[in-house]
Amino acid sequence: MTLNSDTSLLSAALDRVIPPVDDLPGAGGMGLAGEVVKRCEADSRFNAALTTVIGALPSPNDFTALDDEGQDGALRTVESSDPDAFGLWLDVVYAIYYMQPAVHRRLSWHGRTPQPEGNVMPPWDESVLEVARQREPFWRQV
Amino acid sequence: MTQPIHNPDRTADVLIIGAGASGAAVAASLSEAGFDVVCIEQGHWQDSFKFPTTEPDWELRSMSSWSINPNKRKLPEDYPINVENSAVDPVMFNGVGGSTIMWVAHTPRLHPSDFRVKSLDGVAEDWPISYEDLEPWYDLNDQVMGCAGIAGDPANPPRSERPMPPVPIGKDGEMIAGAFDRLGWHWWPSDNYVNSTRYGEGRDACNFCGHNMMGCYQRAKASTDLTYWPRAIAQGAELVTGARVREITTGADGRATGVNYLDSEGNNRHRAARAVVMAANGVGTPRLLLLSDSDKHPNGLANSSGLVGKNLMFHVYAGVSGVFPDHEEPWVGPVANIILSQEFYETDPDRDFVRGYSYQMARGQGPGATARSGPKRVSWGQNHHAELGRRFGNTLNLGVIGDDLPEEHNTVTLDDRLKDSSGLPAPKITYRVSENSRALLDHALVQGQAVMEEAGASEVMINQLSREAGWHLMGTARMGDDPERSVVNGNGQSHDIDNLFIVDGSVFVTGGAVNPTPTIQAIALRTADYITNERKDLKA
Repeated sequence: MTLNSDTSLLSAALDRVIPPVDDLPGAGGMGLAGEVVKRCEADSRFNAALTTVIGALPSPNDFTALDDEGQDGALRTVESSDPDAFGLWLDVVYAIYYMQPAVHRRLSWHGRTPQPEGNVMPPWDESVLEVARQREPFWRQV
Repeated sequence: MTQPIHNPDRTADVLIIGAGASGAAVAASLSEAGFDVVCIEQGHWQDSFKFPTTEPDWELRSMSSWSINPNKRKLPEDYPINVENSAVDPVMFNGVGGSTIMWVAHTPRLHPSDFRVKSLDGVAEDWPISYEDLEPWYDLNDQVMGCAGIAGDPANPPRSERPMPPVPIGKDGEMIAGAFDRLGWHWWPSDNYVNSTRYGEGRDACNFCGHNMMGCYQRAKASTDLTYWPRAIAQGAELVTGARVREITTGADGRATGVNYLDSEGNNRHRAARAVVMAANGVGTPRLLLLSDSDKHPNGLANSSGLVGKNLMFHVYAGVSGVFPDHEEPWVGPVANIILSQEFYETDPDRDFVRGYSYQMARGQGPGATARSGPKRVSWGQNHHAELGRRFGNTLNLGVIGDDLPEEHNTVTLDDRLKDSSGLPAPKITYRVSENSRALLDHALVQGQAVMEEAGASEVMINQLSREAGWHLMGTARMGDDPERSVVNGNGQSHDIDNLFIVDGSVFVTGGAVNPTPTIQAIALRTADYITNERKDLKA
């Protein structure tokens, strides 16, 4: 699959995998299909998984003509016939969806990258060892 | 790092293969003792300011170009590994610093009993050295790498004061520790090679980003590119990067003469040396020994015992995850080096397995990783958001690291078809989880569930076996006194070739139930001291 491909089928599938919630559209409605294709093009494993999943689904017209239950059924068929490819495709979709600032806001997550700011922790408090220190040495003598 | 110009045509005193945990330690020790040292490393220097934890797509990159798994990372300096017949995937990093770039830097030590499992429990083999033999080098390594921790752990022999106080264990650590206390079970703050204060040249204190497996931007986590290599290079050691060793060469007398390698341009080169030290990890070292076969060494180098590549040990990993609805920010702090419990470390005749395991608490992750990892992936479809909402920000983990006894059918061999980017045969892993390991993990999962419930978890999930958890590559060129039952002696010296040494996890006889790097580095430093003191003939 390439960036020039028709992404309507992928977009519809993304909406079933991560459906709308609260005021957020589903992953397809958020316009993530292009990003999924782009990221998959950069990694041969990802691309193979994407190609497998999309290739195993009905044609775009047939898929979108199905009702929600039918679309989920089509996806489940792919999942059971090639769980590794489907799982990897799902992992990529999840990673991309949870990169989105709007999703972070909904989760009330700061969404910062881990660095350079890092985080703050309360300092080490030795009193937590009060019980553990009462234990006699019990390592096995040789 | 700037190096002086070296003459590539000289005969070095010692040539080291691999610039990771053990190779760096040997390079620093021998160069400080006046040896002319050259090290060949297939990877490159890392720039901590370019680690992916500063990029918005860091979670996605942990699945591809920054995966711990070389089969997923697929960088030119990696080699593919055939894992079709393995229950566990080996993971590693190829570069200056080796896997210390990607480790969590959890640094417990083996127990004295780990060196005597045959005598004590009637299984596997005893080591030719003891805990006490290694202790001075454990202490030295703790100083150079920088250990944060606190002495007094009742599960281990007394040890010297740690150079830094423990990294804070956080409210989540206290919650799990409290559960261990109430159950009457051991726990202790983990020894870490993570700075709790400024320590070492240009190395800050940890800022608790929670993702020390993806390189440390702060340089708070010790990796040997930051600790041993600057010392080695300052003493004149030469480090050649982007260069892949093809074989160890031998002379008419069968002794090692150096290596043939491919330089960064792909040109065939030879480096001559009076001794060769292998530090290429428990998969890379047996692979190279097998690749170095010749008329004089038809089964590969140093392999008269036939044990090169056999007795592969990984440590078996499993886990218990607990959901704590009232908990917040479980991603704050080091990811998996917080507290450990060794309540069930030693053999108990009342159990249906020998040896034991450690628990290591681990923290939660970002939303993407939460969705795709853990005991099971968050489901897709209508339940997705509710399930993610329950787990994200509320999940803590208890990892189980189990003793993995050596078995000759667990092997590293050369694959018939798979090749690396230089056309060299790739390693093939054959590995299955033993009945003893399975029984041990099953016991651990039951007890771990009790810990999570005692801590107040509303939901507990079990991971029976972690597949992508082969961090610890051990046993494939083990040490021993009997040349028919081991590859190297207690000094890491090949029984067959007196100027060939091995200092990585390959030499482990048994694996214990702890992360092996401090032991690997202590062994490397001890071997370096042996060379310094007993093999002055190797110095020009």
